[in-house]
Amino acid sequence: MQKVANVVIIGGGIIGCAVAYELAVRGVKDIVVIEKQYLSSGATGRCGAGVRQQWGTETNAILARDSVKRFEGMNEELEYDMDIEFKQGGYLMVSHTQAEWNQYKKNVAVQHSLGIPTKMITPQEAQEIVPHLNLNGLIGATFCHSDGHANPFHVVDAYYKAASRLGVKFETYTSVTGIKREKGIVTSVQTSKGDIAASLVINASGYAAGTICNMVGFELPLYPQRHQALVTEPVEPCQGPMVISLHHRLYCQQTPHGSFIMGVGDPNEPKDFNINSSWEFLEDVARQATTVLPLLKNLRVVRQWSGLYDMSPDANPILDEVPEAKGMWVAAGFSGHGFMVAPQTAVLLVQKILGQECFMPIERFGLDRFRAGNLVLESAVV
Amino acid sequence: MLNKTGVPTAEDIKTVSPSEERLIKGPVAIIECFQEIPCNPCTEACKQGAIQPMEDINNLPKLDFNNCNGCGVCLSRCPGLAIFIVDASYSDKEAIVRIPYEYAPVPQVGEKVVGLNRAGEELGSFEVHKVQSGGQKNKTYTIWLVVPKDLVMDVRGIRLGGVRHAAKETIVCRCEDITLDEVKSLISQGYRTIDEIKRVIRAGMGPCQGRTCRMLIAQELAKVYGIPVGDVLMPTFRAPVKPVKLGTFAGGE
Repeated sequence: MQKVANVVIIGGGIIGCAVAYELAVRGVKDIVVIEKQYLSSGATGRCGAGVRQQWGTETNAILARDSVKRFEGMNEELEYDMDIEFKQGGYLMVSHTQAEWNQYKKNVAVQHSLGIPTKMITPQEAQEIVPHLNLNGLIGATFCHSDGHANPFHVVDAYYKAASRLGVKFETYTSVTGIKREKGIVTSVQTSKGDIAASLVINASGYAAGTICNMVGFELPLYPQRHQALVTEPVEPCQGPMVISLHHRLYCQQTPHGSFIMGVGDPNEPKDFNINSSWEFLEDVARQATTVLPLLKNLRVVRQWSGLYDMSPDANPILDEVPEAKGMWVAAGFSGHGFMVAPQTAVLLVQKILGQECFMPIERFGLDRFRAGNLVLESAVV
Repeated sequence: MLNKTGVPTAEDIKTVSPSEERLIKGPVAIIECFQEIPCNPCTEACKQGAIQPMEDINNLPKLDFNNCNGCGVCLSRCPGLAIFIVDASYSDKEAIVRIPYEYAPVPQVGEKVVGLNRAGEELGSFEVHKVQSGGQKNKTYTIWLVVPKDLVMDVRGIRLGGVRHAAKETIVCRCEDITLDEVKSLISQGYRTIDEIKRVIRAGMGPCQGRTCRMLIAQELAKVYGIPVGDVLMPTFRAPVKPVKLGTFAGGE
């Protein structure tokens, strides 16, 4: 492995790969991505593969809105030899309680102010979009037709191939063991394959971002949280949008391949690195999914897995330089929706690092917000 | 290498080969047995005093080429299908290789079959000279194959059905219709583990969850990286073991 680099990116998930590409395409040379296992082996490859713009905080909504535009043209932009499988079947967010419905109204107001074409619709209108939707107890729904699905493996693969063509090096099966500093400035990254001297280090290691920051004595306000998912056998297309019911803690979509991916959030999930799959989850998600979408009871489950959200206190990402280690930037804390906002998050971070004009104020993602206690909590996380 | 690839090397073969002189004299057994396992039917089979009795049943067989008349009894008794009879005296340009065969259908005399080397690679199309049954209880057939003289120490297997472009037609993942060719192409592009291959082309993501393709892809990776199949990194084995309806989990059935 090389001994010196301009930039070392820690983490070969969607964020690390997208940041590598955005740096390289802007002319930065000599970039190395360090990945502990293989590309998309962490949270990216375990996510629900949804892409939505229906967020409650302006920050998440802008990143998602602009990222959708990137996904729309990604095969061409990255000259990908396969297909990222971007399908815009929309997101249908159903509401079962008045409090939830009031929150949806506020969220939609935020989305409309940003030009996101979300519609508030009646239960009957929702059933026209998803015929097998259970109307029992349904108050209403919000629907955004340009939300959808993309294949995380292929999106990462597309960024990887595009970045490789621009000269970015990827070191997989390589762990970071330490970070060296001199006078508060980052000087090198120590890995299982030797040290790489670099003055710019980007910590895009998802739920491990805290561990990496600890190497320079900095406590990142993140915690890992297990979320489980399952996938069914493939069937003929019968559900256009991703269906989300925050009341049932459920998300459920049919991928272009035909299989259904679904998951439920567990409010009692402890804050730790446990990544085992549980049978309790299978019962829980099956009950919720067959309540909201009864037809799915006939689908056979082929696989379950779990992944870790890198939760930040306000469920918004952290994009900032570590005060204890100048030259080290954090891109983490995506709280379960990093995949869908990655394309524009990478652009924003790279614009800031290169001293270019940022397309939105990056300060909103700064570490200062935690010190100031100035948090705007994202309400729409499953 | 043998225990990593399953294919004996030229050095391995040298240790069990007769001299050139013995080879051209006429039929002789070649015992390509390289693993010390408790097995001795060949010593019992030989009535010529060519295969020596073993002191320890784990020993490799020892063959005295000068006593061997190439009768072929040992060939049909070897459970490992490791014994071949070669006859380089068959004609000016051709030789006979006798090969043990236990698949159906059994080839017909006069039929052209594909000759394979020890690694399973195609060496050409050769005529079946004779087919010998092993008898009522012994289902091992002996296929007599006419091969060019220079291939007498190379042809060690046959395949029926003509020359194929095996990699393009062989389905490795039956759930997702992934061919060997596609898998090989990804490996050559640098995808290093079953997991990486799975994520790009879905091999192993179907209803069987990789029961068929997992080991086949592992074999391909082992070949390319020159490692034992057991050292190929396995993907996580995930529940459920077989597809189960959501309704069952929900408690409705």
